[in-house]
Formats: sequence, structure tokens, C-alpha cells
Amino acid sequence: MSRDFYIFSNGRLKRKDNTIYFIDCLENKRTLPVEQINCIHLFGEIDLNSKLINYLSQYGIMLSFYNYYGYYSGTYYPRKKNVSGFTVVNQANHYNDYEKRLYIAKSFVDSAVHHILKNMRRHKEGIEDLIERIQAERKNIEKVQRIDELMGIEGRIRKSYYKSFNKILKSDFGIEKRKKRPPTDPVNAMISFGNSLMYTTVLSEIYKTQLDPTISFLHEPSVKRFSLGLDISEIFKPLVVDTIIFSLVNNRVITFDDFDIDEGICYLNEKGRKKFISEYERKLGTTIKHRKLKRKVSYRMFIRLECYKLIKHFIGDEEYKPLKAWW
Amino acid sequence: MFVILTYDVGEKRVNKVRKKLKEYLIWTQNSVFEGEITEGKLKKCLYEVNKILNKQEDSLYIYEIKASSHIKKKIIGIDKSFDDIFL
Repeated sequence: MSRDFYIFSNGRLKRKDNTIYFIDCLENKRTLPVEQINCIHLFGEIDLNSKLINYLSQYGIMLSFYNYYGYYSGTYYPRKKNVSGFTVVNQANHYNDYEKRLYIAKSFVDSAVHHILKNMRRHKEGIEDLIERIQAERKNIEKVQRIDELMGIEGRIRKSYYKSFNKILKSDFGIEKRKKRPPTDPVNAMISFGNSLMYTTVLSEIYKTQLDPTISFLHEPSVKRFSLGLDISEIFKPLVVDTIIFSLVNNRVITFDDFDIDEGICYLNEKGRKKFISEYERKLGTTIKHRKLKRKVSYRMFIRLECYKLIKHFIGDEEYKPLKAWW
Repeated sequence: MFVILTYDVGEKRVNKVRKKLKEYLIWTQNSVFEGEITEGKLKKCLYEVNKILNKQEDSLYIYEIKASSHIKKKIIGIDKSFDDIFL
């Protein structure tokens, strides 16, 4: 039942009465029930002290920070409670053995492509050629022997995919080329914003499992980043973020008024971010009947299940089969 | 599951009960809390509140709604929207 809170106002976050209080700059108080919080996202200018951080750590609540433009800047990640040396050692083994690493990396890409094609088929008028091109490219995934080749395939698929956005998106929204740093048009801004939300969600789900977020397979593990989060969000980006963009634009929920353009940098303003996040939260809360578990499972839970499947794969329990949305 | 909790508690204990409930649910009005909660957490919460209550004088009513999609909430007057995810 835990949920995420998003703070846009400026103010102070503090521990009081054994729970969390948020006091905004006009001295309006609001309590956040500590037992209900999963993660707090800070978009405004917030004061907080170590007492709060200590308290949040007790409950394993993560704090994510975003800068003025809404870009993800970092997460306060409390001491991990679910640790298992055995799992981590096996996870690292799967990285060290190139064959094993390649298998997992391929699974991630294949699942991502599956979801990309699923999105494209839903809006297939006028993009049949792009779909075919991606399908042809997908066949190469099986044969690939090296991770950088795999990344190349993925890059080419993504390029065709983004090209199709111009046909899928109605109204005046369009995308010329994916630009990340910084995004220059509304669609790029939405992709960037959505991807950073996805990354934090995946990270908070990894946190609840025994996996080590720094050992990744598709992306090269390196210092200063939790690259396993990048790997797993690859699967969910087309499934969650891109469908949100399509529905927001095509239902005319989001308009050009929801973006600010400043010296060539385009970003969602507060109104736009709120629209995007409400849709994002709604999407993550949607449930689908799981075929194996025989019960309803939310998109957020699917992310966690992906982590559990990886653990099972690492400890040699069950071979990893990536999520391929069947609905 | 969704619950609505109302309480009528002696003056001495009212603050203690309110503070405890604030950890679990969203305060809607004086002596009224509501919110989405799991069964386990509700049990834990009620156990803790139970220790504060004086059974001879106080009362606490719990309305449980198993399917939260069945709730229709209407508001007359000021909507304080304390359950908003945006702050």
C-alpha cells in the first residue's frame, strides 16, 4: 500500500510525532503517514536535517532529488536491509562469465524490443516499413557475440522507433532526433523526464530485493552509478513511459503550455510535471492478471518480479526469461 | 483495503491517539482518519492504539472497505485534499 509523494513546493521536511511533516513556505502543515511512504521525490527547495534522514532510514524510505529543470540528480539510499552475500557473489559471477553476461544482456534488449514493437503495432498506420526494419534487426540479437554489437543493434532499433513517434503522435508534437543533454523539444523533454522517473522507480524496487544495484549486464558497471537500474528500466521504458507520452499527447492532455523553453533547453514546467506524474502513478498502479501467479499484479510489482526472476537465475534456481507483455 | 477510522476518546488521550494514527493514515477531520492500508499494517496500528485507549471510556470505530474501487467520496464545502500525492 506504500506510495510515492512528490513535493513541488518549497519548505521544510521534518520528523515530528514519529512521522513526517511537511511545512511549506506559507507555514501550511501536512503530515505524511510514515508507514505509507515508499519514496519521496523532491522537486522544490526543501530543508531537511539528519534527524529526518535517520528516521527515513529506519523505514527504508528513499529520497530522490531533482534539480530545477526536473532532471534527476540523486537519491538518498538508506542502508540496505535485505542483503545476501550469496546472491551478490552469484550475481557477480554472472557478470564475469562473458557467456552468462551476454545471455542476460540479450534478454533485456529482446524484451525492450518486444515492448517497442507492441507500442508500434498499436499505432501501425504509416509506420509499417519501420516495424519491418526493427523486426529484421531483432533477428540479429540472437547471433550477437559481443555486448557492444548488441548496444549497436539496440541503438539502431531505438532510432527507427523514435522516427515512428512523428507518425504515432498526433497534433503538432514531433521529434527530430533523440537529444538527451539537454532535450531541445517537448517530446525529448518528456522522454527524459519519464526515463528518470522510471530509473528511480526501478531503483526503489531493486532496493527491496537482495540484488546489488551496481553490478549490471547490458550497461557497463562503473563507479558512481547504479547501472543495474539502467538495465532493468530498459524493459519498462517502452512499456510505461512511452505509452504515457502517447496517451498524454494524443488525448491532448499535455499541450505546449506545459513546457518551458529556455536558451534552447526544453523542460516540463510544474503543471506539465504534475500531469505527467499523475499519469505515471496511475499507470504503475494498474493491475494485470498474472498468468503464473494467478492474481492481479501492478506494473510496479512487475518490476519487482523482474528482480526476483534475476535472483532465481543467479542462484541457479530457474532460468531468466524476461518479461514480455502478453496483454 | 481502505479504512475510515473515527474515535471518541477522553481529552487526556486524544492527542496520543491522533499522533499514533498519523503514522498510518491520513488525517481528514477532527477525530476522523482515512486511507489505504494493508491488513497487516492495520492490525499493527490497532494494536498500538489499543494500548493507549481506556476501554471503559473511549471508543474507536473502524469501517473497512475491502474493494477500494467501491468508494465514492463527495465533499461539500472546503476540500482540504490531504491525500494528494503532490505537495
